[in-house]
Amino acid sequence: MDNDNYVCTGCALLCDDIDVGLENGKVAKVHTACRKGFAFMKGCSNPLECTVDGKKTDVDSAIREAAEILRNAERPLIFGHANSSSGAQKRAIGIARKINGYIDDTSSFCQGPMVEAILEGKLKTCTLDDVRHKADVIVYWGADPANSHPRHMSRYSYFPRGKERQRGWEEDRTAICIDVRKSDTAEICGESGLYQIPVKGDVEFMDALVSALSGKIPKTSYDFDKKRLLELASILKKAKFGVIFAGLGMVYALDDREPLYRLMDKLNSVSNFHLIPMAGHYNMRGFNQILFEETGYINRVKFNGAEILHGPEYSVVEALRKKAVDAALVIGADPLTSLPRSVVRHLEEIPLITIDPCQTLTSVKAKVTIPCALVGVESGGTAVRMDGVEIGLKQIVETDRLSDEEVMIRISEAL
Amino acid sequence: MGFGQFLSAPEVKLRIVTYRDIFQDSAKVTSLFGEDYEKLSAIIKLDPKDLSKLAIKEGDTLMLKNGFGKVVVKAQNSGYEKPHTGTAYMVNSPWSNVLVPEDAGGTGVPEFKDFEVLASSAKGAKVTGIREII
Ligand code: SF4
Repeated sequence: MDNDNYVCTGCALLCDDIDVGLENGKVAKVHTACRKGFAFMKGCSNPLECTVDGKKTDVDSAIREAAEILRNAERPLIFGHANSSSGAQKRAIGIARKINGYIDDTSSFCQGPMVEAILEGKLKTCTLDDVRHKADVIVYWGADPANSHPRHMSRYSYFPRGKERQRGWEEDRTAICIDVRKSDTAEICGESGLYQIPVKGDVEFMDALVSALSGKIPKTSYDFDKKRLLELASILKKAKFGVIFAGLGMVYALDDREPLYRLMDKLNSVSNFHLIPMAGHYNMRGFNQILFEETGYINRVKFNGAEILHGPEYSVVEALRKKAVDAALVIGADPLTSLPRSVVRHLEEIPLITIDPCQTLTSVKAKVTIPCALVGVESGGTAVRMDGVEIGLKQIVETDRLSDEEVMIRISEAL
Repeated sequence: MGFGQFLSAPEVKLRIVTYRDIFQDSAKVTSLFGEDYEKLSAIIKLDPKDLSKLAIKEGDTLMLKNGFGKVVVKAQNSGYEKPHTGTAYMVNSPWSNVLVPEDAGGTGVPEFKDFEVLASSAKGAKVTGIREII
């Protein structure tokens, strides 16, 4: 990374070429970032205040109260982490261990299955730099980076010149979009690059592709044009360096990963294909990697003395639905925004702690709110990009707010 | 405004698919409680045939409900060339999350991208505000 540049923590692409202009100690101009990155780095218009029971207080009192809640809880949940520095994630896992708590992150209802398969060595993967330099066939499957990761196509996957792809998208790369609708990414892939399938038609499409790659007639119950499927198989077969970007559209359409494994095995017997999960939040993958190293699981864990419990019943969704937890600490996430309303209702019935730089829907319902510095702007640290590469984050401006890691250290000490 | 007045409006069953939008996402980052975020989130994109079935025009408000909740959002013509009657698109947001089924079948993963609602005209009603949702 060039030392003069900063990293945007707006999404898991962690663009490391950001230049900023400061005014009165604040980020006023952001160059090279996308619209979202610009908004992210300028900071929110509703910063979180330090409160207990809705009344403003000092950080020490809020931390004391948070520790008290966690200490008194029998089945506490620590959830979030996707928008936290790796340092804060490590501390959060330490706290969960100390209090025999549940710990889960947003990957639990997002890209978890893909990251897990990669960390367990079940899916061949590569880095975004490999994609930029080598990829000639790029498949966006149930993914719409034009909206979810705005600089994905321009920095890495389609438009740039790379060491082995000097002629860029015009001649050197083929972009394919497999989706249920004509997304903005599909528009870029063009009429011939879009393979529009019905909702939940992904598994059949994968199996039809395996057939086509095996020289058999590809069949689907929704009668997808066989000629087009055979053409697609031929493009994939000829790839020198292929990559599938797995979006949530694909993840949610799979009941299990077997159809994807079948497709990847077939692709790698006739060609050379990699898969990268389109993690959204900037450090979701970091949390998965740290928890995996410490427990052998990427998410959905409950500590029980020396025992480590794992399974869907320890997922944030099931734990809240079943009202299994009796207190919660949320850091680096906003479950009231991102989860079904009916699932998160239980959070309003139990003592809730929120740690975030900004007000969130979750913080509105919290008994204790503790503001922290905006990682990548007001505090540094590290994070893990969507492809598993660790990226260093630098502090850009001064703040009197504690970093997210410092808040977690203080809570841990107060326990 | 009571919901009872919409009972006579035609009801249409819709399969909802959610998606992401950079403008809406940026508006959230700027201000989750702001007008822009509401304007870009509280919408549903419909096939023109479904707009006719519901006896509404683009820009009219629509009530969406199912066993998990209800919200009032603004109707838009999807503009997609390929017809998609019976399927409508909502950007992923607290508004769509009101309607996402709670029962994840024990898997821990709700059906964020594929669920059903009953839609009916709510002409004249205001869209549901974010503070009403929470
Ligand atoms: S693509 Fe993601 S990391 Fe890059 S500038 Fe935009 S929000 Fe930031």
